This record gives sequence, C-alpha cells and structure tokens, in this order.
Amino acid sequence: MAWWKLFLDRMRALRDSESVHREIDEELRFHLDMRAEENVRRGMPPEEARREAERRFGRLTRIKEMGYEVRGGGMLETLRQDLRYGARMLRKNPGFTLVTVLTLALGIGANTALFSVVDALLFKSLPVKEPGRLVLFRCVASPTFSPGPYAGYDGTDAAGRRVMTSFAYQTFRRIRQQQSVLSDVFAYGDLVLNVNADGQADIANGQAVSGNYYAGLGVGAIVGRTITNEDDQGGARPVAVLSHRYWQRRFGGDPSVVGKQINLNDTAFTVVGVTPPGFEGTMQVGSTQDVTIPLAWEPRMYTDPKNSRMYGAGQWWLRVMGRLQPGATAEQARAQVETAFHQSVAEHHDELQTSAQTAGDKPISEVSPQQYPRLFLDPGGQGEMNERERYASSFYLLLGVVALVLLVACANVANLFLARVTSRQKEIGLRLALGASRFRLVRQLLTESLLLAGLGGTAGLLVAFWIKEGLLSVTDWGGRGMLALQPRLDLRVLVFTLALSLLTGIVFGLAPAWRATKVNLAPMLNGGGRGSSAATRSPLNRGLIISQVALSLLLLVGAGLFVRTLGKLRSVESGFDGRNLLLFNVQPDLVGYKGERMARLYEALAERIEGVPGVRQVTFSRVPLLARVRSTRSVYLRDSLAIGADATNRVAANGQCNVNLVRENFLEVMGIPLLTGRPFDMHDGARAPKVVVVNQTFVRKYFPGENPVGKSFTFDVRKPDELEIIGIVRDAKYASQREEIPPTVYVSWRQGFGDMNRATFEVRTTGEPNLVIADLRRAAREVDANLPLNDVRTQSEQADQTLTMERLLTKLLTLFGLLAQSLAAVGLYGVLSYGVAQRTREIGIRMALGASRSAVVKMVMRYGLTLTCFGVAAGVLTTYAVTRYLESRINLSSMLYGVTLSDPATYAVIASLLMLTALAACYFPARRATKVDPLTALRND
Amino acid sequence: MTKQKPDLPQGTLDLLILKALSLGPMHGYGVGQRIQQLAEEMLQIEEGTLYPALYRIEQRGWVESEWGVSENNRRARFYKLTRAGRKQLAVEESQWERLTSAVAKVLQAT
Repeated sequence: MAWWKLFLDRMRALRDSESVHREIDEELRFHLDMRAEENVRRGMPPEEARREAERRFGRLTRIKEMGYEVRGGGMLETLRQDLRYGARMLRKNPGFTLVTVLTLALGIGANTALFSVVDALLFKSLPVKEPGRLVLFRCVASPTFSPGPYAGYDGTDAAGRRVMTSFAYQTFRRIRQQQSVLSDVFAYGDLVLNVNADGQADIANGQAVSGNYYAGLGVGAIVGRTITNEDDQGGARPVAVLSHRYWQRRFGGDPSVVGKQINLNDTAFTVVGVTPPGFEGTMQVGSTQDVTIPLAWEPRMYTDPKNSRMYGAGQWWLRVMGRLQPGATAEQARAQVETAFHQSVAEHHDELQTSAQTAGDKPISEVSPQQYPRLFLDPGGQGEMNERERYASSFYLLLGVVALVLLVACANVANLFLARVTSRQKEIGLRLALGASRFRLVRQLLTESLLLAGLGGTAGLLVAFWIKEGLLSVTDWGGRGMLALQPRLDLRVLVFTLALSLLTGIVFGLAPAWRATKVNLAPMLNGGGRGSSAATRSPLNRGLIISQVALSLLLLVGAGLFVRTLGKLRSVESGFDGRNLLLFNVQPDLVGYKGERMARLYEALAERIEGVPGVRQVTFSRVPLLARVRSTRSVYLRDSLAIGADATNRVAANGQCNVNLVRENFLEVMGIPLLTGRPFDMHDGARAPKVVVVNQTFVRKYFPGENPVGKSFTFDVRKPDELEIIGIVRDAKYASQREEIPPTVYVSWRQGFGDMNRATFEVRTTGEPNLVIADLRRAAREVDANLPLNDVRTQSEQADQTLTMERLLTKLLTLFGLLAQSLAAVGLYGVLSYGVAQRTREIGIRMALGASRSAVVKMVMRYGLTLTCFGVAAGVLTTYAVTRYLESRINLSSMLYGVTLSDPATYAVIASLLMLTALAACYFPARRATKVDPLTALRND
Repeated sequence: MTKQKPDLPQGTLDLLILKALSLGPMHGYGVGQRIQQLAEEMLQIEEGTLYPALYRIEQRGWVESEWGVSENNRRARFYKLTRAGRKQLAVEESQWERLTSAVAKVLQAT
C-alpha cells in the first residue's frame, strides 16, 4: 500500500472509527464461526465446539485491540482525543482561556510585528537574480587619506580608519576591464532629478547607472525594457527607466508611458520601461530610486557642468557591485582586482594634480603606495548596509524587549496553568491510578497548552497587524528615507509566528504538566482532592512570580532611561525659536538657474512669500537647522599661516567650524540674538569686503579672551584674513540636539554664492504653520511653475525627525514595560487569591484560635510583598548585568542623553512603582482572607 | 506422552502468511488452515494473532484485501498477495534458508 493510501485509511479510521471496529469484529467472528462449524463437523457438541474455537483463537479483546492499533487512526487519533479533551477543558473555563489567549496574543503579536519589521529592514535580500552571488565594493583607508571630492557613505571603523563605499568612475572602468571571477561589474550613483511631465514638476530620487546594471542584477522590465550598454554611450538617445512605485504614483500605472517624453533637469528623455514592483534599486534599505538614467548622461544633468560628479577628474561617488561566477569567492575576486584598484587610485590622483596645476592651485599632497586604501568585497545581496547598521542596534534592542515581554507572558500563563492543573489534581491522580502513563498525561496537558498557544498565536497575528501599522509604523520612525520599506505579514513571518507559538506552548506548558503529574497517589485520592497548598507555594510558582517582577523592572528601567533621554533632548535649549516655523527646500540649479538669475529668483521667491497672508517673516539658508546636515570648513588664523606649509604641502588648520550661508535677516528671523557688533545688511554684497558673524563657541575657541569684532581669519590658505568678523551671536544648535554646539560661522549668502545652488526657506508664520502651505505653493508657482517646493515641514517636525529612534524606543519600552508590569501584577494577584482559596481551612483555624483580621492581612501581604522584594532585588541585579552587557555590545549609553545607565533616580522610581503595584495586587486577596468565616471553613471539610 | 508443539519463532508468522497466500487468495481463516495443513499440525499458532499480522502486512503493501463471499456463502475478507508481496516472499525465503542452514551447520558440529 502506498503511503498515501495508508494515510487515507488512517483518515477514514479517524472520521469513522466505528466502521473499522465493525469490520474487525465481523472478520474475527467469521473466523470463530468457521472454526466452530469445523469442530461440529468433526463431531463435537456445538457448545464445546464454540469453546474450543475460542481457546484456539486466543484473547479476543486483546486481538481486537491489536488489530485496531494497526488499522485505526493511530497517533492521529490520540491526538484528536487530546485536542477534543483540551478544547472541552478550555470551553469549561472561559475566563482562564480568555486571559491566557489575550496574554499570549499580546506577547506573540508584539514579537511577530517586530520580526516583520526587522525582517524587512535587516534580513531581506534584494529581489534580484541569485542575490547571494552579488558583492559590494568598499574601501578602507588611513584617516588622512583624501581621494578628493567624495559623495556617499563616509564612516570610521573601530580601528579609526576611514571607510568609504563610493568610488571614482576611473576605478569602476578599470575593475570592469580587469579579468576576474566577477562575471559582471556595474556601478550606480544617486542624483536628484527635477522631473517635469504633463506640465507638472516635482523632485525625484534619481540614479545614474552603468549600461550593464540591470543585466548584472538580473532585473527585467514589466513594461518596455531596461537600460542596456548601448544606452550608456556618447551619442545614444537619452532614455530613462521608472520604478514601479513612481510609475504608479506619477503616471497612474499607464503602460503607454513607454515612449513618453519627460524633462529631467530640463533635458528631454524618453521613458523606455518600468522595473517590477518590489525592486527599489540597490541603495540603502527603504530608499527608492524613482528614475534611472544611463551614466553617460549624468554630466548633462547640471546647468553648470562643473557641478557634475564626472567633471574633471571626477568625484568618488559611484557604488560598485559585482556578480561572482558560480563557485567563486569574494576573496578570489578581491585579490584579482586590487591591483587595478590601486592603479585607478593613482590615476585619479594624477588627474586631480593636473587640474589643480591648470587652475593655478597649490599642488595637492602626494599619495604614497603605502597609503593606498584596501579594497573589500562585502556580500551585496541586500544592497548597501550602512543605514541598516544604523538601525540594527535599536532594533535588536527592541527584539530583546519583545522577547522579554513574551517571557513575562509565558511566566504568567505558566502560573495560571499551574494553578489550574493543580486544581485538577484529583482527576489526574485518578487517571494515573487507572493506569494511564505519565507520558500520556503530560502529552495531554501539553496538547492543551499548545492549543492555547495556537489560539494565542492566531489572535497574535491580529495584534501584530495592529502594532505594525500603529506603533511601529514605518513613516513614524523611518521618515521619508524609508519610503519603500513595507513590512508585511508574509510567509516568512507566518512561519516565525507558528514556530514561536509552538515554542511558547512548550515553554509554559511543560513545567506545569511535569509538576502536576508528579503526584503521590494515596493522599491525593483519600484527601478529598482539596489539592495541596504546597503547589501554589512551590518553588516553581515563586520563581515565576519573582522572574516576572524582575523582568518588568528591567523593561521599566529601560523605558525610564529613554523617557528621561527624550525629555532632556526635547527640552534642550536649541538657541533659536523653532515655533511657528515652516521649512521647505528648493533646488533652482536643477532647472537651469545660475549666477545673477538664481540670486534674483531667491529674492523674488522670498518677497513673494512675504506677501502671503499669515506669513510674518521669510528667510533662507544653505543648511536647515537640526536636520543632521552640516557644512564644515577649516579655520586658518594669522599665526598658523605664518608657520606656512609643511613637507607634504599642507598648512595645518587651527581647527574646524560649521558654516551656514544665510539671508541677511536669518539671525533675526530665527531668533538668534546678536550680542555685539552689527548684523548683515544689504551692503554686504558679492563685491563688498567679506564679512562674517560668529557664535560664542567660535570666539571661545579661536579668540579666547578677546573682543573679536574687527578681527579676521580665513577658510582659504591663499587668501589670508579674508573674512572680517562683524558680530557675535548667541550659541545655537546646528545639526542635532545631541551634539555639543560647534563653532559656527554665518556668511551672507551673497558672499558665498558659489555654494548657494540650493536652499532651505524658513517661513515664520503668525499662527499654525501648516495652514499656509497651500498659499505658499501657489505663490511659488507664480514665481516659477517649474520649481517644486520640496520637503515642506515645520521646524519641530524637522527636529523630531532626528529623534525618531529615541521616540520609538521610548514609546515601545514604556508600553511593553507597563504591559509586563500589569502581567506581573495580575500574576501576583492570581497566585495570592488562589493561595487564599486553598488555605481557607488553615486561615479559618487561625482565626478560630484568635488571630486578628490584621494578622491575617499581614500574613497574606507579607507573603506577596516578600516575593515582590525578591523580584525587585533580582531585577536590579539583572538590569545592571544586562545594561553592562548591552553597553559592551551596542554601546547603549550612546543612545541615551543626559542620564547615566545606572541612574539611581530611575531605578528608585521604578522599584517604588513596582512595590506600589504589588501592594495593590496583594491587598484584595488579603482582604478576602479576612472574610473567611471560621465555622464555614471548618465545616467545609 | 503428547509431543510438545514448538512455538513459532518471532517474525516467521509473516513469512508463513505470505507463503500461504502465494498459493492463491484466501480469507484469514483459510490462511490459518492452510498453514496448519502445510505444517501437518506440528505448529502451535494462536489463531487470533494472524489478524494483526495480516493488517500489518497489508499496510506494508504486501497483500491487498477485499470483501468477498466464502465457500459457505458468507461475507468474508479475502487477502491476495501483491507483486511487492511476492518479491518480499522471495527475499524472506532466501533469508530463512540461509538462517536455517547456518543454524543447522552449527548444530551438526560434533
């Protein structure tokens, strides 16, 4: 019989075990009848014939059982019995079932929701062909290595070396030509595109890619075609590929978009195709590349060709990816291409040198071969990892948090379960006495707990959906940068939830089941089944309560630390007035503005917006405040210039400062008060002597103990004393709330105009800033319809965007901490109430012997509070150990602000909170104990 | 003095059932009868144990069964050797022969 037929037989037996029994009966009866007939034929009297037949046959019932064991439902059938029995028990105790399922649903749901986010954020591979074979290039150099202009991720590793993931075009070309185990090497770099289609302009994330980008990734088009090598050549027609997301949003998913003309930065391109949904490019996780053009067209995307990243020697700006041939390793590839890489670094450096000479600049410092950066090939199947790494520690922390919540939930359910099986002690004892094996009973109880866990898991999916969309909503913590991240409750997540539910069921079910079946039969059956009070005061029970309190303390202390961090960060004195301030960005250089025309545009835009009702003042600056963006320059004072250049042609700077190019009224509008000197005015124009306003920190650092007004310094070693200080303003935060206020130099926008190709406008409103947005856009369209206002937000939204992770951690830790605490309180309450109910007789005797009510209250409360104290003590130790560990692994204290890891106030507040809750949880059972009537209690027996 | 009938060694019942059925389809009672006839009543078999054994063999796919009508016109379950059963019989027969000849050799040693 094939296995499937066997299975069908089993299923039939399961559905209709009666008919199987009937068949066996009939067959055996036939046998006995035949034998008896035979015996009669041989001359036996009928009755003896029958007896003889039965004797020869053996034990009939036993044979029937053996037969049914083979032909019946087998394991499946016992499982079904267990399930039926379990379901009946759960139906009989709806309160217990409801509390348990809810508790588990919260625990499992929180874990499922977080897993779905973590999976999408940290674990998912790119939706490309064989992502495991992709490698992403990275180079690591000494901290002093400078490749010239650089754009992209620029970090520092643990050893203090510079880590870069962008490369020059030369490098890409060299590596692509090099014979190696890489079957394909392709490059891509981001660029901002002003898209004008159907008479409407907006700003899109764009990218320029080498012609083999899509072929190398193995990504096709769902409509039209992708970019090919032929498109990436001088003289080719300008073509563009759209992402599915952008196609849907901007063109309503219209397939006739293929062949359509769209203007990208004022150049006409033809759309040739759309990439599949889910493919969002290969940049940082969550980012999406809306519009893709061939690399060959990048230089044409700028009004001033000098702004192109390919201009002259070119910037390091391209990410480079390769595809390994089957079976090849990244290390083989690295060894094969590193020489070509070094060669390209030298070439790029030579080109930089040549262009410096032709421009009459001082020669740049030499790069010796010892300084050549090292090349690394990282797994590229997930795209770029830097953003992921930024989020990783926060999310691993949260994963730990929800795992703890689940543990607390398990402890709670285990406790309830234990109390419940203890009350079924008599039944269990009876079954054991009747010969049921302990294994069979443990299995029965485990089936019940798995059933509960299954229900909990199912309800948990609903909870997960709710948490994922609400508490963990990506727009909340990820901001615009995470637009494309869409965590789903997909198959991977469902498998996770299933596994988690099973595990949960075993964790909370096994220990109680084991304990409950370890029964001494004699007293159990004699004693009227009161159940032993020992069971509710067992070490297991106490341990569960203590660990619940301890885990709650851990979570709540964590929450407390983040609440204080967030509070401190929010109340940080920013040094400027962020209320009623609306911000937006414009990038006029994308649509052809430059020089005087751009200056006139800024003026016109500012003046036009000043006329909008509800707007009080308008200013603009190169860098928005509290946006994690900074522009820094080296500061050279007269003394360091006097020392002159060292052997490597470098002049040592006195230090760094932050720079912002601002409209004349910026300091006034932002509410940064002038302390001495004068503000900028209209006379500080492009041809006037260059003047700057500096902040207090700048003065303290570079002109300590002097009045710097009237003194000079420079950013440019060739022009000493170029910048005269005309005023000092109060300190204000620049890039983020966390940072120390840096030395800051404000330069009039007219005098630093070369960098003013984009700006952030700051609009001070009389009332609610969001109310003027529509009018603002209309006003801007009147000035130039081809100039979209980008990224409109209020200053407080802007500031909060830099605090997203802090807010998320605070919110979730607080919520889960309180959840764990309520679970612990419910657990304590349950155990004490149950204990009181079990000890009714004992309490009755005590009271009959003259114990006062307060003595009884004290007795019950002492028990509960002692447990809580142990829990708090264990919690403090655990928290201390866990924070130490996290500090060493993910540098926890760097996530905090203005509060230490072992902040005594936080610990004290949380410990008292837990004690108070415990007090409440103990009080009610204690009061009930005093209501015990001694007579009834004694008669009860 | 009656001669003690030997018990069946563990596992040989399956072999005997297969052998009996190799002579043609039979109901359970018939299988038992046939084995006894062939063994010339020299084996002690608890007849009931035939049935769990038959069910097990059926689940292994060596025999098939269906309800039919017996020689005395009663409903009876008939068993038939399958192709896999025939193969299994050959395997078990040769194993048995090797076993018995080996045991015999040991016992014949003086």
